[in-house]
Amino acid sequence: MWVSYQAFLLYPAYNSQNDRHLDGTSVMQSPPNTTYPSKAREFWQGVRDETPLMLAVIPFGLVFGALGLAAGLAPLEVILLSSIVFGGASQVIFAQLWSLGTPAFVVAGSVATINLRHVLYSASISRYVRHLPLGWRVLLGYLLTDEAYAISINRFQNGPPSPHSHYHLLGTGLTLWVCWQAATIIGVIASNNIPESWSLGFAIPLTFIAIVAPAIKNRADIAACLTASMIAILGQGMPWKTWIVAAAIGGILAGWLVHRAKARSA
Amino acid sequence: MIWIVMIIAGLLNFASRFVMLSGLAPAKLPEKLEEALHFVPIAVLSAIIVPSVLPGDTGSVVFADNPRLPAAIMAVVVALITRSVIFTIAAGLATLWLLKWLVY
Repeated sequence: MWVSYQAFLLYPAYNSQNDRHLDGTSVMQSPPNTTYPSKAREFWQGVRDETPLMLAVIPFGLVFGALGLAAGLAPLEVILLSSIVFGGASQVIFAQLWSLGTPAFVVAGSVATINLRHVLYSASISRYVRHLPLGWRVLLGYLLTDEAYAISINRFQNGPPSPHSHYHLLGTGLTLWVCWQAATIIGVIASNNIPESWSLGFAIPLTFIAIVAPAIKNRADIAACLTASMIAILGQGMPWKTWIVAAAIGGILAGWLVHRAKARSA
Repeated sequence: MIWIVMIIAGLLNFASRFVMLSGLAPAKLPEKLEEALHFVPIAVLSAIIVPSVLPGDTGSVVFADNPRLPAAIMAVVVALITRSVIFTIAAGLATLWLLKWLVY
């Protein structure tokens, strides 16, 4: 698909006039071999690249619809969480903490903390999109989820440099967005009458286990996990459920200190 | 109330994704901050997992007679092997249901 990568490097200057073509397949005759994929092609490549992930995302969306209701949220609240917050782990945390009667600032703070990792994604794609108009950057920021990032960063870094490469991220992001919304709605409708005895709410910690367990790779990660767990257990009596914040800060600090100590001794 | 919190959470979520695209932030994060951010998901999620696997009445945790504990351990094993959210949820719930049916 991107055979012209090497050729492009030989001719880095492309005719900016070509930017205005909606379909880039027939443009770029001069110099030869400097074609880059069209906007439509980038977009649909993004959609195709993202599609296999929907095997996991759609069932997760269905489960979120069900567990949101199990956590005591209203159907409309569950459905709109998927577009307002638009992040699997954050939505699950929101549902879990809200159902526990957690104060608003702890809920918002926890959701925000878990999403700090997106700052890293944002930082790593900024060089590919920062020239775009504000509207584009707002849209791509909104669509920048774990799954869209994981696929599109590969295209940004390993595909040919192209003025249309952001259409790939639009493709992966929109594919995820549409499937996530649809799956949530179907999950809410389908699970409206699931009895409490099914313990569907237990899917919440199970979701987090699925994210955390494979992410633990070294001693620093283990330190972060164990410290956060210990503080969470010991701090259960803390007012306003602030043990969540205390455990998060303690875990991050422990992980970082072990990481630093290791880096220094190496 | 829930709507306000939802919108605030959504805005904070968006801010974390947009901040480095905004043109206002420095092009590169400080190294120490980047290192610390790596531990965020592990720390926050561990903090939420443990009390919800070991839930007691009002601010305590329970280890004994708790089918959620073996179910969670099964989920950890399946998560490490498959790295799949769905398989992990399925394994954990299946274990919980089985234990409730057999033992508890």
